[in-house]
Amino acid sequence: MARIEEPPRHPYGAAVGNLIERLAKLPGIGRKSAERLANHLLDCSEDEANSLAEAIRRVKTVVRPCSICFNLTEGETCSICSDPRRDKHSVCVVEQPRDLLALEAASIFNGVYHVLGGRLAPLNGVGPEDLNINALVKRVRHGGVTEILMATNPTLEGDGTALYISNLLANDPVKITRLARGIASGSVLEFANREMLADAIRGRQSF
Amino acid sequence: MLRVTDFSETSRIVVVFTREFGKISALAKGGRRLKGPFESSLDLLSTCQIVFLRKHTSGLDLLTEAKLVSRFHPQERDLTCLYAGYYLAELLLSLTEDYDPHPILYTAAQEALTMFGASETKLLGVIRFELVLLRELGQLPDFENCAACGIELTEGRTFGFWVTEGGLICPDCQREDYTQISIHAGTAAALRLLSSESEQAWKRLNLTPGQLKEVKHVTTAAICNVMGKRPKMLKYLEH
Ligand SMILES: [Zn+2]
Ligand SMILES: [Zn+2]
Repeated sequence: MARIEEPPRHPYGAAVGNLIERLAKLPGIGRKSAERLANHLLDCSEDEANSLAEAIRRVKTVVRPCSICFNLTEGETCSICSDPRRDKHSVCVVEQPRDLLALEAASIFNGVYHVLGGRLAPLNGVGPEDLNINALVKRVRHGGVTEILMATNPTLEGDGTALYISNLLANDPVKITRLARGIASGSVLEFANREMLADAIRGRQSF
Repeated sequence: MLRVTDFSETSRIVVVFTREFGKISALAKGGRRLKGPFESSLDLLSTCQIVFLRKHTSGLDLLTEAKLVSRFHPQERDLTCLYAGYYLAELLLSLTEDYDPHPILYTAAQEALTMFGASETKLLGVIRFELVLLRELGQLPDFENCAACGIELTEGRTFGFWVTEGGLICPDCQREDYTQISIHAGTAAALRLLSSESEQAWKRLNLTPGQLKEVKHVTTAAICNVMGKRPKMLKYLEH
């Protein structure tokens, strides 16, 4: 797929070439931007450059998964789990910490979360043991959880993951719901495609 | 859509099994955005109308447009229906070649995905698809005659299945090593019907659980033989 090529030799030497290579691997950074960043780092003071290196090192050592919900945190538990105002009976299950951030940005959900760390993808070798599913089941069986809100991505694999979990919890006294889907507010029926309409009809709710 | 992989912040690489061109791999720039030429069509096993540019030099083709026709809807609450869909993707990914069109197989895949929409039809859907795939690959075992001596397989007898010889084995040619399971004459007839080119005949079949088990044994062995290993998804399908 991607061609394997020798890293281009840099006139300043291998160290600069290596830095550019690594910067260019960052999301949204192309070769040109990587070169600009490298030049900036060469120009700036040693202190400034080192504090960037230290900041990178620090997030990799200090940030870890919350012991309850697997959200990322610097402490033992994350800010959401340790917030007494959050409703601990209601647990929203997401694939990734960034999904949690998106839901939090909407500030509409007052419960707590459980981050799976991915989705079941047997074709890619991702099975239940690779995700934080056992911990979720334990959390539910430990008591106190009355609702599980499945907020995995509305893809085939995301839905499959939600189904797998809801089968596991089928005999537990917990209500399992999932995010609604269908037509976006403010759009018009006329232009909604068949799948959107089908989802909206399947997920209809009483007034 | 047989495989959808995130490539960058906004792009995706997809492997698509098309009716006219067979399997293709293409880069979908902006494929992760909700708005744009792909919307939410790039999901595993969804059926789309696509426009793509074929790269004649090295590198991936470019997917420029995809319009969702239908999503794959496995039977709700039945994970094995979903796994049957994954299995179909696995078989097409590993057993078909790029740019080798198989319109008959394309139709069979569509039909199989529909059958995975109900628990009752999923197993037959898997078997029919496996047999059409074997036929299209030119690897369909012989269900008419003994693969060793060539004698016609007649009613009222049981046979063995000898996968490397490519077919059923009559009782006279039977050896200890090949007798893991016996295939009854009725099953052999069912296999002939299930693998026939007729689009309709096999749909009238009503197999007993015993026959289904024998048929599945034969198709599984044949698929594993062609693949050179057990497909990953088989263990998910078995329970
Ligand atoms: Zn937490
Ligand atoms: Zn024989």
